[in-house]
Parts: sequence; C-alpha cells; structure tokens
Amino acid sequence: MPEVAPRVPGVEARAGKFPGPSLIPALHAIQERVGWLPREELVALSREVHRPLYEIEGLISFYPHFRTTAPVRVTLRVCHDLSCWLRGAEEGLAAIRDRYGPDADCEVIEGSCIGRCDAAPAAVVNDAPATLAGVDALVAAARDGGIPPAAATGPQRWPNDPYASAREHYGVLRDVLSGALDAGQVTTALADSGLRGMGGAGFPAGRKWELVAAQAATPKYAICNADESEPGTFKDRQILAGQPHLVLEGMLLGMLATGAEEGWVFIRHEYGPEEAAVRAEIARLRAAGLAGQDVLGTGRRLSVEVFTSPGGYILGEESALIECMEGHRGEPRNKPPFPGVYGLHGQPTLMNSVETFAHVPVIARRGAAWWTAQGAGEHAGLKFFAVSGHVERPGVYCVPMGTTARALLDLAGGVSGGRALGAIQPGGASSNFLGPDQLDVPLDFGSLREAGSMLGSGALVVLAEGTDLLAAATNVLRFFRDESCGKCVPCRVGSTKAHRILADHLAAGGGTGDVPERISELEQVMRRTSICGLGQVALGPVASVLRLSGGRDKG
Amino acid sequence: MAITAPDRTGTVTLTIDGREVTAAEGSTIWEAAKAAGIDIPVLCHDERYDPVGVCRMCVVDVGAPAFAASCVRACENGMEVKTSTAELERSRAVLTEMLLSDQPDREQDAKQAKTGDNELLALADRFGLGQGGTDGGTDEDGLPCASGRGNDSSSPVIAVDHDACILCDRCVRACDDIQGNDVIGRSGKGYATRIAFDLNDPMGESSCVSCGECVAACPTGALTNKPIRNIPIRPRTELDAVDTVCPYCGVGCALTYYVDREHNAISFAEGREQPGSHGRLCVKGRYGWDYAASPQRLTKPLIRREGSYPKGALSDDVRGEMAGDAPKERRRRRKPGGLVDYAEVMPHFREATWEEALDLVARRLTGIHAAGGPAAIAGFGSAKCSNEEAYLFQKLIRTGFHTNNVDHCTRLCHASSVAALFEGIGSGAVSTTYGDVINADVAIVTGSNSTANHPVASTFFKQARRRGTTIIYIDPRADKMADHADIYCQLKPGTDVAFYNGVMHEIIRLDLVDHDYIAGRTSNYEALAQTVRDYPPERAGQITGVPADVIRRVARVWGEAGAGVIFWGMGISQHTTGTDNARCLIALCAITGNIGRPGSGLHPLRGQNNVQGASDMGLIPMFYPDYAKADDPAVRARFERAWGTGDLDPKRGLTVTEIIGSALKGGVRGMYMLGENPFLSDPNINKVRKALAALEFLVVQDIFLTETAEFADVILPASSYLEKDGTYTNTDRRVQLGHKVLDSPGEARLDWQVVQDIANRIGLGWDYASPREIFDEMVSVIPSYANLTYDNLGLSGKLYPNPDPEHSDGTVVMFGDRFNTNDGLAHLVPAEWLPARELPSEEYPFVLNTGRMLEHWHTGSMTRRSYALDAIAPKALVFVHPDDAADLGLADGDLARVTSRRGSIELEVTVSHREARGNCFIPFHFREAAANLLTIDEIDPFGKIPEFKFCAVRIEAAHA
Repeated sequence: MPEVAPRVPGVEARAGKFPGPSLIPALHAIQERVGWLPREELVALSREVHRPLYEIEGLISFYPHFRTTAPVRVTLRVCHDLSCWLRGAEEGLAAIRDRYGPDADCEVIEGSCIGRCDAAPAAVVNDAPATLAGVDALVAAARDGGIPPAAATGPQRWPNDPYASAREHYGVLRDVLSGALDAGQVTTALADSGLRGMGGAGFPAGRKWELVAAQAATPKYAICNADESEPGTFKDRQILAGQPHLVLEGMLLGMLATGAEEGWVFIRHEYGPEEAAVRAEIARLRAAGLAGQDVLGTGRRLSVEVFTSPGGYILGEESALIECMEGHRGEPRNKPPFPGVYGLHGQPTLMNSVETFAHVPVIARRGAAWWTAQGAGEHAGLKFFAVSGHVERPGVYCVPMGTTARALLDLAGGVSGGRALGAIQPGGASSNFLGPDQLDVPLDFGSLREAGSMLGSGALVVLAEGTDLLAAATNVLRFFRDESCGKCVPCRVGSTKAHRILADHLAAGGGTGDVPERISELEQVMRRTSICGLGQVALGPVASVLRLSGGRDKG
Repeated sequence: MAITAPDRTGTVTLTIDGREVTAAEGSTIWEAAKAAGIDIPVLCHDERYDPVGVCRMCVVDVGAPAFAASCVRACENGMEVKTSTAELERSRAVLTEMLLSDQPDREQDAKQAKTGDNELLALADRFGLGQGGTDGGTDEDGLPCASGRGNDSSSPVIAVDHDACILCDRCVRACDDIQGNDVIGRSGKGYATRIAFDLNDPMGESSCVSCGECVAACPTGALTNKPIRNIPIRPRTELDAVDTVCPYCGVGCALTYYVDREHNAISFAEGREQPGSHGRLCVKGRYGWDYAASPQRLTKPLIRREGSYPKGALSDDVRGEMAGDAPKERRRRRKPGGLVDYAEVMPHFREATWEEALDLVARRLTGIHAAGGPAAIAGFGSAKCSNEEAYLFQKLIRTGFHTNNVDHCTRLCHASSVAALFEGIGSGAVSTTYGDVINADVAIVTGSNSTANHPVASTFFKQARRRGTTIIYIDPRADKMADHADIYCQLKPGTDVAFYNGVMHEIIRLDLVDHDYIAGRTSNYEALAQTVRDYPPERAGQITGVPADVIRRVARVWGEAGAGVIFWGMGISQHTTGTDNARCLIALCAITGNIGRPGSGLHPLRGQNNVQGASDMGLIPMFYPDYAKADDPAVRARFERAWGTGDLDPKRGLTVTEIIGSALKGGVRGMYMLGENPFLSDPNINKVRKALAALEFLVVQDIFLTETAEFADVILPASSYLEKDGTYTNTDRRVQLGHKVLDSPGEARLDWQVVQDIANRIGLGWDYASPREIFDEMVSVIPSYANLTYDNLGLSGKLYPNPDPEHSDGTVVMFGDRFNTNDGLAHLVPAEWLPARELPSEEYPFVLNTGRMLEHWHTGSMTRRSYALDAIAPKALVFVHPDDAADLGLADGDLARVTSRRGSIELEVTVSHREARGNCFIPFHFREAAANLLTIDEIDPFGKIPEFKFCAVRIEAAHA
C-alpha cells in the first residue's frame, strides 16, 4: 500500500507527485533497451504500474536525459556557457554546425555547462567528453562503431588527504567502526573546525550533522551531492576523480554520526568517467567489508549507492535533488522544512557536497586545530577552486582558505595571453562580478560577502580586459533562464523577461531605455520571492555588472 | 476538500502585522492571518487544495533574507510576520505584471469574457497595472510579451488557452487530489513549462473525463467552459443562480445552475458545497443539463390515431427490424445514432387537449379495472421523479385501482440488495455514507464501475486511498477503480458467492472474526460457518479464477482491519444470485463486526437520483411507504386509515418483470407508465415488445417520445427535473430539495399535477396545493423521515433518520446498537454458489456483461440529447479483450455482430485491456444496438431482478 504521510506543517502538496516507487529507473530501462522512449512503451508502462501518463510526461519532458525521438548515430553537445563562451564557444559552435549540421547522422545541440570548463570550449560526443579540437576524431569513432569509454584523470594527492598511501585509506572509518573513535567525536571535530558546506550555501557542516543526528525519525539517509553544474564549476569532478576514497569516507562517517544506513552519491550524468571512478571505489569499499549489510562484523548496515542524475542544474539544489531521487520533477521544495528534518521520502537526510565530505577524514584524523591552521591569516582550512576563463592554466587548485584572488590567479598562470584583467566571478556563475580593483579580496565566505560577491561554488572565472561584461553577464543569465525549473513565477517568468530585455539591449547596441532600473527591480523581486537559490541569484551577476559600470562597459 | 492534517491540539503564538495571533499548531501563516482578518492575496492557493507555494503572491516577510510563501509556511512560536510592507506590495505588483505580460488582451480573455472573474486581472486592477501587450512587443510596463504556447479546442466542453495559464497547479491538484482522475500535469521545464494532458496530448484526445473540476479551479482564462447550445456564459451577477441537485445518479451532488432568463436557458453549472459531494461534479452534472431544452420535448398531449391500431411498435428500430430478423435490405440504418425517430412515429398520434387526454386515460383505466379487477392494472413509476411524485403515484395506483401492482426501476437495480438487507438487517438503506470511506482502514468496492456510475462517490474512494485506506476492488472488469486499488481481484462473472465464501472461510480459519459482535449482534453464525467450511481458498480460487493466495490476502486485510466498509453496485445485484451475493457481503461485514461504527458498513451505491426515495415512498409492490409490508393486515389497516380508503390490496403486487410476464398472458391489461422506458431498460426486448403490444391500454407520461411510448394509446407531456420543485433522496439517505430552474415548454405539466388530475377523474378527490403539502403528508406516514420539513432541509439537505434537523446533518452511521430486525440482530444467511443460468457454449462462447458508460444515462433519452455527452460518447460499443479481438480478427473501430439466443445487434468494437478474456461488455444506452436484445430475462428468486450481467453471446465480424 502506498504510504502517504499525513500533512506535515509547511510541507507542500504533492501536486502531481505520485506516491510509490520512482518511475525514473523504468524509463531508463526503456531508453536503454529501445534507445529512446516511444509512446507505446510509455502507455504500456503506465498501464502496468497503474501510474498516470501525465506523471511520465512530467518526467520525460523535464529531464534532458530522456529522448522522445529516435536518436541519430552521433549527438554533439557543445557548451555555450560563460567559461566556454569566453574561450570562443560561439565561433566553435558555428564551425561545428557548418560541419555537422547538414549531416543526417549527426545532431548538434547547444547546451548548458558540462563541467569541463578547464577544457573550454567543451563538448560531448555521445557520452564522451571532448574539446572542440577533439570532436572530429570522436565523431569518426562514433560512426565507426563506438567511442571507447573515457577514463577519469586518476588519483591525485592534495593536502586534505591524511593518508600517505592507499593502504591507509579509511583509517578514520575503521577507527569509528572498531570503537577506537566515537562518531560523535567526528561531529565535534567538524563543529570545532568551523567547516562550512562547500556546495555554495556555506551552512556549518558540524551543525548540520548534529541536527540530523538529533532527529528521532528513522530511517535516515545520507546524500553526497555530486551534481555541481554551475558554469565555471568543476572542482568536485576533480575531487571525485582524484580522491573518491575521501568523499566516500566522509559520507560514511556522516552516516555513522547521524544514524543513517543508506547513503547515495547523486552524480551528474555528464560525469561518466568520474562516476566510474566512484563506482570502482565503492566496489573497493564493499570488498574491504566497509560497506554492505554488516560492515566489519559490527552488525551495522552501511549501504552506498550511486544515483545518476537524469540532468539539469537545478538538481544541485538539495530539495530538487531529493525530489528527483523520489521520482518527481526536480523542482525545489518550499523550505523549511529542510532536508535535515524532512528530506528523502520525508525522512531526516544528511546532505553535503563532494568537497565537504572530502574534508571530513583529515579533520577527524588531524583535529580541528590542524584544520583551522591551514587557512591563510585568520581564515580557516583548505579550499578547492576551479579556475577557468581567460587564464593560462585553467584547473583545480587546493589552496588555503583566504588566499587572495590575485594569488590564485597567479597560481593559475595569470590572465591568458598576458592581457590585463577585466573582472572576475569569484564563486561561480551565481556570484556577482568583481572588478580588477578588488583582486586582493581574500577568497573566503565573509570577505567575499563584504566585497559584494560570494564564495559560492568555488569557481573563479577570469575575464580579460576588453570582454563585454554585460554580454558576459547576460550569458550567465541565459544559463539560469535555461536551467530554471519553472516551478515558481519569479524565476520562470522573471529570468525569461530579463534575458529578453538584455538580449534586445545588447542587440540594439544599448540605448533601449531604463534597462538598469528594470533589471534592478526584477532582481530584487526574484531575490526575495523565488523559492530557491537559482531564482534568488539569477539576476545578481548581471545586476552587479550594471552597478559596476552603470550599463554597457568594455571592462 | 483537501487532504488535510490530522487534528492537532497544540497552538502557537506569533505576531502578524504587529498583532499577536494564536493559531493551531500546523496551520499556515495564510490561515492564521485570514483568521485574524488579514487578507493576503493569492493566485495558486485555494483552500480546497493543499498548498504548493508557486505563485509567490502570498509571500510575507518573516525576517529572513527571502520572503516566505504564507500559504505553505507553517506558523512558528515567536515568529514576527509582516504581510504588507511596501516591498512586499511592490513584489506582488511586479509578479502580477510578469504574469500579465504573457496574458491575452483583457477583451480576449476567455474567463473575463465569460464569467468575468479572472483572478489575475483582479490583482492587476488592485495594483493599478496596465494591460498586457502583444506578442513580440513589450507591454505598458516594459516587459516583453506573450508565451506563444497556443490553445487547444479539442474538448467539446472545455476551452484551453495555454497562453492564459499561469502554472498555478490548481488544475493539477483539482484533477488529482480532488477527482483522482490523474490527467493533468506539468510538461516541459522553465519558461517552456505548460500544463499537459497525459503525454501532452490534446485535451479532447486524452484520458480526460470532462468532469470540469479543472475549470472550477482555474483562476485565469486558461481553462474555461465552452458554451453549450450557444447559450453565452456570462458573469454570475448577470444570471439567476438556482441552487438544486444534480438530476442524474444516486450520489446526488449539490449544484447551482446559472440561468440566463433572456434565453430561458442554463448558461453553466457549478458544484455547490454539501457535506456529501463537497462541491464536486462529474461530466453529466456539469455539462449534461441541456436535454431539457431539446426541441424534441413533448409539449402537447397525444392520442394514438385510429389507423395506428392494432398496436405495435411504430419505428423500424423498435419493431425489431434491426434485430436481424428483417429482410436483409431493410436492415441498414437510415441514419446513425439513435433516438426515437419522431418523423416516423409522430404521424401515428394526434394532438389533443389535456381535458380530452386525461378523460380518456381515466375512462379506459377505470373501464379495464371494472372489467378485469385490480389485477388488470399496473403502474410503473420512476426513480427519476421526486419523492412527492413517487408517493402520489403509488397512492394513486393503490387507492384508485386497489392493487399493489406498482413498481419502478429499482427492480432492475438493487432489488436483490434490498431483499438481502431487509432479511439481514431489517433496512434497505445504506448503513453509512460514501464519504465515511475516509474513516475506513479498508474498503471493498465490488460489482461497481464507480468511476463511471458514481463518479463523485468514487473520488472519495480514491482520495481515501491516498489517505491510507486500503482499497480492494473485486470486479470482472478491470475498469478504472482497478487502477486505484491496492488489491484487484478479476473474478469470473457470476462467481461472487464462491469468492466471498472463500474469504469468510479464511477469516474464520485465521480466527479474525469478531466473537463479541457475533455473539451479541448476530444470529445464525453456525450455519454460515458450516456453509463456508466447504469453500477453502483453493476451491474458491478454482471457481472464481482469483488465485487462492489473493483470496487469503483479502481475508487477512479485511479481517485485520479496524474498520471495513463495502460499496457495491449492479455487479452484485443484477444476477439470478443477486440476493445471495448481497447476503455474503452482509455476512462478511457482520462476522468481523463491521457494521455500526465509523468507517464500517454496507453501502449499495444507488443508481438513480431518487431510487432511494422512490423505494422509501413505497413505489414497490411488496411495501407501503417506509417499507411497511404490503401483505401485513396491520399495515394495510394503518394505510387505509391514513389515506381514508377501505379496500387496499391485501396481497403483494407484481414486480416490473412479473408485470411484463403478466401482460403477455393477458393478466395486466391497462398500464400507467410515468417516466419509465422498459423497452430499453428491461431484459429480453423481444419479450417486452410483445407484452407492450398486448396491453389493452397504455398511458405514457414522459418528457420525450420513448421507445415504450410507441406502444401507447395516450402520451402525456411531462415536466423535466429542471422544471419542478420536489425532494430527492440520494444513496446516503440525504433528502435534498430540488428547485425549479426553467419553465416547462408548451403545455407540458408538472407530474404531480397530472397524477392528481387523473386521481380526481377516477374520484379520489385530491387537493394538494404544492409539493410541500405532499411532503408533509408523506413524512406523517414515513417514520424514518420524521422531523424533516421543507424549511429545515436547507441548502444541503439532511440525512435521515434525523432527530434534530435544525441542528444536525443527520445520522451517518446507523445500527450502532441494534438492527431494524424484529430481534435487533443481524441475520446471517449462508449461500451456496450456483452457476449462472446461461453458461457459454461452443455456439455462444462469450459472457456478455452490460452496464453504463460515464457519459450516458440508462436508455439515453436524456444524455443522448445532451450536446456535450453525445459529442463525447456518440456511439454504441462492444468492449473486447485484445487477444479475443485478435482471435476474432477484429480491430478497434471494426463493426461486430453480437448474437445471443434472443437477438443480435451490430456495433463498433473497442479493444480494451480492461475486459477479461472470454468476456465482453456492452453499454445499454443505445437503442440502435440495444444490449437488452441480447440479455436473458432469468430473475433472482428473491429480488426478482434480472440477470443483466451474464448471458452467453457470439461475436463475429459484421460487414457494413
């Protein structure tokens, strides 16, 4: 019998969400078998499982992974978001369209960030990541019978790894399981370390763990949010590839500390190679008896599974992610209640991002004091940054928290081509732009907020002098418009209207009236009335550019 | 009614706009503010639904960086809420403007042009916003315009304008949470999101059942009613609102007709709050009322012309020349579809004055009575007429012709249920309401295609399931209820007794019976236990085709439930074993203690809007009003006193099926038929045809020329439901007032007046001035209706029994302490399974099941004259399992010929996964392919109900 919990205060209506198991696996199965989702298959599924057709329609039309037309042999997806745009995606895309557009075997799709900004402009051929330069070879391979699966970059050592060798991996976890270390001590260490969530919102990690641990309701769940999808953001991808053991150990410690038996890594489907790395690591965990029905004979169940996202930036929003896992459209919930209290299937759920979990073992092993000492100056701990855009050595850097933007830029080889700096986005697409005069701002939660931006998703996007900042910010806005789930009015309508106003303004070469005022008004309304962070920040960057320059400005 | 929180006892205290407010724990800020008299504007929210918080119009400042949607945010202790700061108001204005920029022009807005109550435009006015602009341009406030999503006019009754949609999800919740039809959802993502039907199909091609709940929910012009018969839909204030009750099924939904007095027509209908139906309607109630405006209404009394004797059917269809016994060249229909062909039939009648017609009726009936005695007269009343009319009609037949030969279509629906209920618990009415399902742990729905036949009641079943009630659906057809069931049992037709005996066997074996209840409230348990001992689940499974494990599971779920209720329909009653079937249901409830507490009981879902009332009124041959036994001398004496007459019939009268039989043999020779059309509704039409033709005199009182009227000597033009006042008693025992909506056409008269006119012509000397006066007399002889008056029935009616109608809605759950039997105990009656009378054979390999469709009503005389209902379901169909269809070489839409030992019809095939193999289903509404040409007139020995649900047929391809 489907369990329908009585209404919990503050929990919104199901509005089309059906009780019962998720249909997403069944849809995946059809697509796997047939290659796409023909109508007859969907009608048959609906009849078999006694679930309405519209529920299926809601899912397949929401998640980009699902196809309702037969696929061609080669699908070419080219990113058009900020980091790629800065490195010539528009021109590259035009060239690809010229080359493959008329080809009946090929479908060229222009789309949102695929998390490979270090290889910008980035593309995907079928499921294989590519650079624009590498597209031709992959297309040829795809025509020839298939592209061999790509591998992730492999283990990488960063200063947040307490283990000298693979033999030592999961030392903290073993200590907790053996009783040498109390799980509560891990939480205490986390709280003392001041570690904040690294996914964007920056909620204190220790407090979150305490909150979930304090919930009486069972079962509880843990989720590792590996769905980073914001333009310029790819640090979690590298962490997953380079130190999956730390991510999984962090989540398992979280499960032990909060009483969850079931943990999920929710990973974006564009991270195929990294997903393979995570799955391989989970296999190692199981082989070592550290995950499964009875870990190391303690009688404790610690299940770890991977959930592959059916697509969409919005799923990185914690409640949208949960909705997706439950089999619904990935639309964020009204909050509170927060997932810690009312998460997956309405149960207490510990959700942290990849980087947050990855920092847990070292804090538990070396202590909060060691961690806080790692920061620059009065700042605490370590921080991963993805650096992309107009920069010599785009990539992922693990630096002391509070490192200045200037220092990080230098670490990445400075502005590409020796150009002068135009602006930076210090915390991913949703962070406000900062001018060259603010380059000495320490990269830290508080300092960046004071500077009028935010640490956000830990992505430094660099824009060289001469970049049309308003065009760049409009590019960012297009991303939010495209990725809006459409649930609430301000985000759905506001992002579209604002983008049209700006696109018209840019096309007309400026002078289309009181654009800054109108954008500012929409920005305020969206910031204060949208359900989730996407809508709340969507107009922030473009409004910041308008404030920086008072309008059209060549940086 | 939304799915709401369980009762919470705590309270929270918070500050709203500087005022300290105490609210129930779990209530939302919006609710608390409303209670404090603070109005917060909303678009997506409506108290009928659980909140979604998507329009953000109701946002309030709770001191956080982002505003909270007050419709969904729960109150918390110490919260400081501001609801109308300048920034909030500006936000609301900008949100309104955002939505407005995509809306059609105010002048072209479907809602504004119709009911004039577009809620978004009202907000625009409130914020002083200008009009939206044109596609591609910008509006007055500088926002780019129009979403370009387009519109959809594929539904005959609902206009969809996707451009006007603001994605408030109200229709989604209306369709799912309220009606459980599950058709509408969101499709797409972001700005491209739209509401979609099924797999984004046109509404008219989707699984939409046109209940119109989405229209009632929509705040903008996105979903609006289409005008019916070109009567414009106008603002409510320009129309006359008449609060009344739906004329179709026994659910008796309360509704309001908005009447355009200029056009003397109904403009549109809306559901109205009432404790049972909660404002819900189905397609028939919301869109099927225009039959009364049909140009085919009878407006003058008609007398059969001399040249049209000897009597017989007048049209080819009714003569049976469609039935395959006509010469081949004449078999072709002249035109598709089928109501009585007026051009063919009318020339056989001449118009007459009421005086002439009534005199003739009185003279002929008294003449036959004088010559043949009471046994020569019979009357069929109607369950579509009011209580007052039913009461007068039986009083006329009983006191005017001294016979109990008076019956109505209850004989064809729940007579067997009533027989079993009387025998078992001493009362034929339901023991609890359909809405009580919400309190049940488990509900069995059996022999009832409730989504089609009691659509609004089914919405409560579906809703209860979402609240945690386990639904067990037991029916040979896997119709939509099966999709909403936790356990579905597709039993073989006619094996109900074996099924329930199997379930009871297992319940007794597991000792899940309620020993105290059995000991204190029932009799004859040992005999029942003895009988069901022979039905272990394996044997029951063999007979019924339901796996033994499923029978065991049903037994366990039912036996372990704290409260269980059974709803049943014609699938139980319309069998030669109908009474036995119902006996089993009674026993199943009784041995588990499931009668007399909330969420438990027996509920035969009544078919006609007033079948409960007509039975209560004594429109049945074995009972006087209030089920007083007709053959009990004390009862007879009581009614002789009450009615001031001396010679009431001391014997029970004949039933519908027996009257037909008697007419064939020359027993009954004169008949008065008020609103019944036995030609199509009774089994074995060929026999009915002969019986009707054999009558010496037949007067038919109806609103249309029916098939039965072709055999009439006199036809009296009656008033439709919409043209008269009266009370109607629904399946819940709710007595409701129906109000006059329109004037009768031409010389058509009110039925109660016609009955009185005839009564007076045969010397009864009646002098009722109004239905109210009849009601008061009625109540005086019907103790169950005690205390009810026209004044205290109010807008939502009252349940009977009702000790205090001024203050109480009435009794929901009956038999809390004792049953209405002589000893107050439930009498358990064991039943042995008996096979149906006509089993499939090599020559007739299929089992035919008959019944109704959602869109049509009985013989179609109303619904087939409704524009909307006819447009949605225009033709006769036979539903066949895909594998059977494949074996027969039939595809969807092919013409098939279905033949039984009694007749043969041709109709279109619908390949349907809802049928079991070897079974087929034909709705009986279509005279051009009348299912009752095929059915068998075998009857249940107790209820005298025909076996409509089982006969053997052959199906083959027909070549048009």
